[in-house]
Amino acid sequence: ADHNWRFANLYGRGTAFGEVYEDLAKNIETMSDGRIKVQVLYSGEGVGTSGILGAVKTGLVTMGAPFQSMHAGELPAGVVEIGLPGGTDDAGDLLTLFHERGWDEVLTKAYGSQGLVWLDPYIQPPVYIITKKPINSVEDFKGLKIRAPGAYGKFLRNLGASPVSLAWSEIYTSLSTGVIDGSIGSNMIDHRDGNHVEVAKYMYRLPLAGAQVLPIIVNNKAWNKLTPDLKAIVKAATTVHAQEQLVKSRKWESEAVAEMEAKGLQWSPEPSAADKEAWAAAGAGLWDEYAAADPYSKELIEILRAEK
Amino acid sequence: MGIELLTGILLACILITFALGAPVGLALGGIAMGVGYMTWGDGLFNVIPTTLEDTHFSFILLAIPLYIYMGQLLTRSGIGDAMFNASQLIIGKVRGSLAISVIVVCSMIGAMVGIIGAGIMTSGSIALRPMLERGYDKRLALGVIMAGGGLGILIPPSIPMIMFASATQNSVGRMFIGALVPAAISIVCLIAYVVITCKLNPKKAPLDPPPEVEPTVKEKLLTARDGGLALLLIVAVLGSIIMGIATPTESGAIGVVGAILLAIFFKRFKVRMVKNAGMQAAMLVSVAMWIIFGATVFSNFHLLMGVQNMVASFTQDLGLPPMMVIIMFQIIMLLLGFIIDEFIIVLMCAPIFTPIAVSLGFDPIWFGVLMILNIEIAVQTPPYGFALFYLKGIAPPGITMLDIYRSVTPFVLIKLMVLIIVMFNPDLVTWLPNLVMN
Amino acid sequence: MLQSAIRRYCLAVHALVALIGKSVSLVMPALAFVVAFEVFSRYFLNKPTIWAYDLSLFMFGYIAALGGAYAQQRRAHINVDILYNKVPPRVRSVFNILSFILAIFFMAIVLQMSIGKFEEAIEFNYRRQSEWAPHMHHYWIMMAVASVLLILQLSSDVLEEAVHLVTGKHIIDRSEYEEETVE
Ligand code: NA
Ligand code: NA
Repeated sequence: ADHNWRFANLYGRGTAFGEVYEDLAKNIETMSDGRIKVQVLYSGEGVGTSGILGAVKTGLVTMGAPFQSMHAGELPAGVVEIGLPGGTDDAGDLLTLFHERGWDEVLTKAYGSQGLVWLDPYIQPPVYIITKKPINSVEDFKGLKIRAPGAYGKFLRNLGASPVSLAWSEIYTSLSTGVIDGSIGSNMIDHRDGNHVEVAKYMYRLPLAGAQVLPIIVNNKAWNKLTPDLKAIVKAATTVHAQEQLVKSRKWESEAVAEMEAKGLQWSPEPSAADKEAWAAAGAGLWDEYAAADPYSKELIEILRAEK
Repeated sequence: MGIELLTGILLACILITFALGAPVGLALGGIAMGVGYMTWGDGLFNVIPTTLEDTHFSFILLAIPLYIYMGQLLTRSGIGDAMFNASQLIIGKVRGSLAISVIVVCSMIGAMVGIIGAGIMTSGSIALRPMLERGYDKRLALGVIMAGGGLGILIPPSIPMIMFASATQNSVGRMFIGALVPAAISIVCLIAYVVITCKLNPKKAPLDPPPEVEPTVKEKLLTARDGGLALLLIVAVLGSIIMGIATPTESGAIGVVGAILLAIFFKRFKVRMVKNAGMQAAMLVSVAMWIIFGATVFSNFHLLMGVQNMVASFTQDLGLPPMMVIIMFQIIMLLLGFIIDEFIIVLMCAPIFTPIAVSLGFDPIWFGVLMILNIEIAVQTPPYGFALFYLKGIAPPGITMLDIYRSVTPFVLIKLMVLIIVMFNPDLVTWLPNLVMN
Repeated sequence: MLQSAIRRYCLAVHALVALIGKSVSLVMPALAFVVAFEVFSRYFLNKPTIWAYDLSLFMFGYIAALGGAYAQQRRAHINVDILYNKVPPRVRSVFNILSFILAIFFMAIVLQMSIGKFEEAIEFNYRRQSEWAPHMHHYWIMMAVASVLLILQLSSDVLEEAVHLVTGKHIIDRSEYEEETVE
């Protein structure tokens, strides 16, 4: 092959999502007629999940599928990109925002400023909170200790909860012993894989963040070595990948929910209008804060505001 | 260069630097950078910052400094001794009684910590010196610490089990409960070994000489009280986990505070003691972390070059009878233990092997427990194994690596025996979770 | 003449490394206190802090990295001493020189990368990803310092071993370290 790429993603080997990234790698290989060869690296295989952005930036790996919340300190605009708490879960709205309202241009600049090429983003299912006690109204979040990092933590504090920082591998034990009363998962599949339903039974109906938008990024130098036709091929492959993510993640999300329901998962009652309002207010409060912290975030949030 | 050849070269480099007596962590890092520079170029150097962040900003590894510090405080304040003195009051007439107490204490520490390093370094801090001072055979003493400390990942809570369950979408609860019977078998076998070997070779574990003056009832009561209080500390730390006050990682800090309070209570508290314990603990932490860092740089390089694909393609289409496949997996993991640490073995092998095992009709929880038993062995088989390094770090200056290598042999054999027993009797794993959870 | 210059260099390096190694150990009780405080604050006050998580990890990293040179001075880094213990002292010096040069090579790369990361951290204002979001730059300076200290200590050890190889004499009395070992 003319180009040997390494592609790091944040899922473990053998997981359902892992296979989607594997498909992306294969697609790039076939569509480029083998001129680009892509080796997939799963979570922990040479690069930790919090190191993906840095590793693509330096070229240690060529391509990456990072989870922006893990890089909030390196590229703050990513946190706005993935979706601030209270954001929409409508895929159509999101696609418009990215492709027609100009988020793509801002993000190309933001990632570009750090030596990264930003390719077609894809949509993954929303973030939900699982708790040990039932949540009947937003009031019930008051005083609960919930594992929720970064922006999600701030959101929950606005609702009166106490966000807690914990390593992912300690969530299970901490839920079971009661160190925490609840935890967010990066999506339903994450809750299922973490076995959280064994030790916490209640899922709150309102997603903490609507659908999450994640990017595929490529090291700038490696990208510039590609001929225009190869660039087009990689871009086309990421578009196919975004489609596959959308279709499959919905399917897997409903499977994960069904599995958890079989193990006793219960949904909170339908939230009242007042609850929904409190929820939205808790999220809106964060916009100013994030806009003030970073110029690219500011541009993204201004576009968001203009849309409303 | 093919990954097979690269793996061979890396192994050869490890053996050469080990023969030279080089500092393990720095040498592993140096090898990876040197070989990497020649095969990959200086782009590989960028593996260093991400690896540094991964090792130093790991909340899981934070258990290592906290538990080491707790161990140092316990031993320097005499609280650890008090615990063993009290146990001698009860079973002191049995030959090898101190080693047996050590195994029991290690099991309790195992119930607090979820990673191997914290288990061995805490047990080693508290229990190695009392055994050596009483004239125990050093190999027996070292081996008991290694075997007992390794139980930290077999007795819940266990980080590798959580990682296995999540990588293979199995229940952590089932796995924790499923590991209890094999853990109990391990503990019983270890104690049986100590009793038998001390019977056969009494020199290994001298009995305490009878005291010149028989201790008064009051003195006995005092010993019992001190030991009881020391034991209470362990119970309190365990309790803080079970009651949901602290996570297993954080519980080490509860232990530190408890140890200081106990020292004050025993009137043994000195600022100097806290400072000296801190000095020794800081050194041990640094030694452990430089090994972890160097070894992770090494394994990250190896993984970026694709060693996991070599393992994956090798295990496809083995064409062996089911049980042979399982045995084959165990052998591969033991071999990987020569160069890779406990977490990476789980991350890498659990998703590759488990689906195959399940498709052959085996129970995934049973397979996971086998994997944990296997890792326990892999990290303590020479020449390369984290448990060996941790033990060398905590051992007094006179103990050589050869002493440690020799000390593990019988204990590795015992653990291998447990592994084989569990391999051929899946009920030992599946029975209890089925009983409790269904 | 050369020997006494080497000796002065080694003693100076030893003093510096020991000073920093001993100072960083004071962070140890502070680390335990921070974690214990978080537990207290979360469980008893129902108010988890936003800073304890990152602060404890930073303290952990500082202890882990900065203690490395002091551990090298005490020859406390773990090695496999099977053949090493069996060879004559001068051969052992050759072994040590080779090992320490390999270690210096590794640490020089760690130093270079840490400086690079420090510059990046300043340029892009890198922080931790948490809500507290503390700066990262000091960590990379600390890593650079830890690397320099280790390189200095290793270079002193190489010189010490080289003198031993040539003259058969030790310029530094290591027996004092054994005695000084904290009780
Ligand atoms: Na454990
Ligand atoms: Na091994």
